[in-house]
Amino acid sequence: MENLYIAATPSSPEVNFDFAQHHLSVRGESYPENAAAFYGDIIKSLRDYLALCTDTSISMDIALAYFNSSSTKMLFNIFEALNDAQRAGNKITVNWYHDEEDDTMLEFGQELSDDFTDITFINHAV
Amino acid sequence: MTTPLFVNDQLAFCEIARKHHVIFYYVGYFSQNIVAAMADAVKLKLEVSGVNGPTRRKLFSSFVEMAQNIIHYSADALTPAEQVNHEIRHGSVCISENAGQYNLLCANPISTDVAEDLRQRLEALRGMTMDEIKQAYKESLRAEAHEGSKGAGLGFLTMARDSREPLEFEFWPMEQRPDVAMFYLKASI
Repeated sequence: MENLYIAATPSSPEVNFDFAQHHLSVRGESYPENAAAFYGDIIKSLRDYLALCTDTSISMDIALAYFNSSSTKMLFNIFEALNDAQRAGNKITVNWYHDEEDDTMLEFGQELSDDFTDITFINHAV
Repeated sequence: MTTPLFVNDQLAFCEIARKHHVIFYYVGYFSQNIVAAMADAVKLKLEVSGVNGPTRRKLFSSFVEMAQNIIHYSADALTPAEQVNHEIRHGSVCISENAGQYNLLCANPISTDVAEDLRQRLEALRGMTMDEIKQAYKESLRAEAHEGSKGAGLGFLTMARDSREPLEFEFWPMEQRPDVAMFYLKASI
């Protein structure tokens, strides 16, 4: 399956899904005008890729300095897709990067790991 | 030589802004490009002023929520009402600072039909403790994750969570347009 790369803009993150290497990353800032439109195709590609994976180790790096309220819901949907893939027999590791001073980002990461308990969740304060 | 009248007006405007410690003010049309450009300027201003990281993020976050609410919900639009992408709508945002505390204020006209719904949601938020706000945020995140909404419910909760005082708001009737009210919202960071 073809890799997915979307360059960052001032209000949307760099998305680099290297499906061949099973290494996915989202980094930057996320406050697009329409988060559902921005993330819709990304989540679809992710789900298409995950559906093809069996017994695969997959890593996802998330390094977002800031995301707006409508992006938070889309992140939730990404985690849901990853959690489903873990249950289907894959091994998912999420690296969650946040500013060491930023409690809100830390708490949001904890929220996600509380809800999606099948995923291995590694917190990185930077 | 007498000072031209427009210079006096400009000086008076700047004097009021100075008295109220305004560090950023914009009134006009809001598009996503304009918001991204303003967000850049606000972020840099706060960095240069030596504001700590968490406060910067809270201010930045509330600023973006307010500005994007104007893009999506202001009743004064340049783009057709049915257009949902690349919207351009009118409003204003103001950031002022006093002894390390910041006030964010935004204003935009809003349909009176929407106003009542906003009033109820904002009143409910004002009655909540911070723990209740965080709890409501978590619930709303899960409840809204599958809906197609542009996210205003979660947006208010995001601002309320980052505000050191309850969000303040006002609706003022507009004489020329009975179907529209001017909506003011204030967050204190």
